[in-house]
Amino acid sequence: MLNLTLWATESGQIIAAGSSDDDSGGLGLVFLLSGFVFYSAIYFRYRNTDKRHGHESETEATLVNMQEHDEFVKARKGLSNRRMSGANNTAVRGASNKAATGIMSKFKLM
Amino acid sequence: MPMDAVEPDTPPPATTDDAPRVINTDDGAKDGLAKCARCGATEISLNVATGNLRCGFCRFEWSTDNAIEAFNLNGDIATLTGLLVGSGSSDIVPSTEEILTFKCSACGAEVVIDTNTSTQARCHWCRNTLSMNQQVPNGAVPDMILPFKVEKSTAVEKIAHFVGKRKFFAHPTFRAEFNAENVMGVYLPYMVVDINAHAKLSGQGEHQTRSYTVKVGDSTQQRYDADLYDVAREFDIHVNDLTVESSSDRLDQNTAVNSNNIINTIMPFDVENSVRYDSNYLAGFTSERRDSNLDQLEPLAHTQAEDITRHRVNDTLKFYDRGVRWAAEEVEVRGQRWVSAYLPVWLYSYQQRKSNGKTFLHYVAVNARTGETMGSIPLHQSKLLLVSGVVQLVGTVIGLVLVAVGV
Ligand SMILES: [Zn+2]
Ligand SMILES: [Zn+2]
Repeated sequence: MLNLTLWATESGQIIAAGSSDDDSGGLGLVFLLSGFVFYSAIYFRYRNTDKRHGHESETEATLVNMQEHDEFVKARKGLSNRRMSGANNTAVRGASNKAATGIMSKFKLM
Repeated sequence: MPMDAVEPDTPPPATTDDAPRVINTDDGAKDGLAKCARCGATEISLNVATGNLRCGFCRFEWSTDNAIEAFNLNGDIATLTGLLVGSGSSDIVPSTEEILTFKCSACGAEVVIDTNTSTQARCHWCRNTLSMNQQVPNGAVPDMILPFKVEKSTAVEKIAHFVGKRKFFAHPTFRAEFNAENVMGVYLPYMVVDINAHAKLSGQGEHQTRSYTVKVGDSTQQRYDADLYDVAREFDIHVNDLTVESSSDRLDQNTAVNSNNIINTIMPFDVENSVRYDSNYLAGFTSERRDSNLDQLEPLAHTQAEDITRHRVNDTLKFYDRGVRWAAEEVEVRGQRWVSAYLPVWLYSYQQRKSNGKTFLHYVAVNARTGETMGSIPLHQSKLLLVSGVVQLVGTVIGLVLVAVGV
């Protein structure tokens, strides 16, 4: 069961790769993986193993005395990723449901 | 009730060492007979519709003090220093007996309360209800309690609706045995934490300046230009009512062996509406004792506070549309306030017996304040695999055709 969940996660990544980097063949890939996509969609809908309380966004918090520092370093050209490599400003580390954060961080690559 | 002992305006003075300062939350709490002020009956329970306690005989209703006001828990988080804990949140003494004997003050009989399962018992001679409201150091009496607000009938509807939409692939045994009426009202133990911290984050961020396509071989690919910046933020953060499970069972959220993530998902609760603990709120519900101490929960609470900090600061980073890579994150906790609470959950649980002889506990849980509902339904694996196989077969044919024509 767990293996299939992981497969599903993997298939999500492959679809993500197929649709964002290269437009041709993407739709075909989705169909080639349709069984896995269907399985994982139903699995998550019934078992909800990916769900958890979003403490990072659902907890009340106030920021005060903000000091900001922003300094231009350099221009970068011809990058192939849409996101900055190693960007971690939306990371979540304190979730008790580790499975959810694992799966979600993988899907976020889309 | 000596309420002044709580010192409404000034928190207890800071001590020189790191010892926590304690807010006494059971001042004036009395064990034994709690009587209706109008007719003297002890048949008292929560009226879910009004949120008040109600006498079962004369229908007189009254409310208990709001805990946040009574214990001055909404004091400015900015001025919070050191460690402040509710007396009901103090460390559990392992040797504390879970069985307590009371003398019934109506007839003098000795009545036993098992604090493991309840903090109420009925005198078997005179039928009076005896309550335990004073804190014993075993986690059975919290600082505050958030009364049920969602009625059982509503919870039954929500659970039936949730399961009704997930019938087709549900395990046949579950479909046959499911009955939403089997829901139970449970008070689960949590810790509610306020944190005053100072944060320093530094790293680099990228802002996209151009997006274009290039030819690679006979296909095209997307390319991006971006400006790189050094980024730093320094600020104070006040986290209000961060809520963590304080039952070690519930804290374990390994979805391969349990469905505790379901109960976690129905958070948050409106904990600001909690009242001073009174075990009469428990009548008709079950409750679970806290079994985790502050030292065990503090690392998790602090990591979650860091997550909150990281996410909240994103409001100031909208320019960096490609993201920010923090190289250093420093969240220094300057003050924290911990209070233990019982929070209300309607729980439908289902024990699945698997073919390998193991069992797995599935839940459908309803937040008894907000009505938020989440659940785990046992799957009919063979049926799902069969249908997935058919979907795969059809998909493969269509996919091959699409790939062949180069769509
Ligand atoms: Zn009465
Ligand atoms: Zn008695």
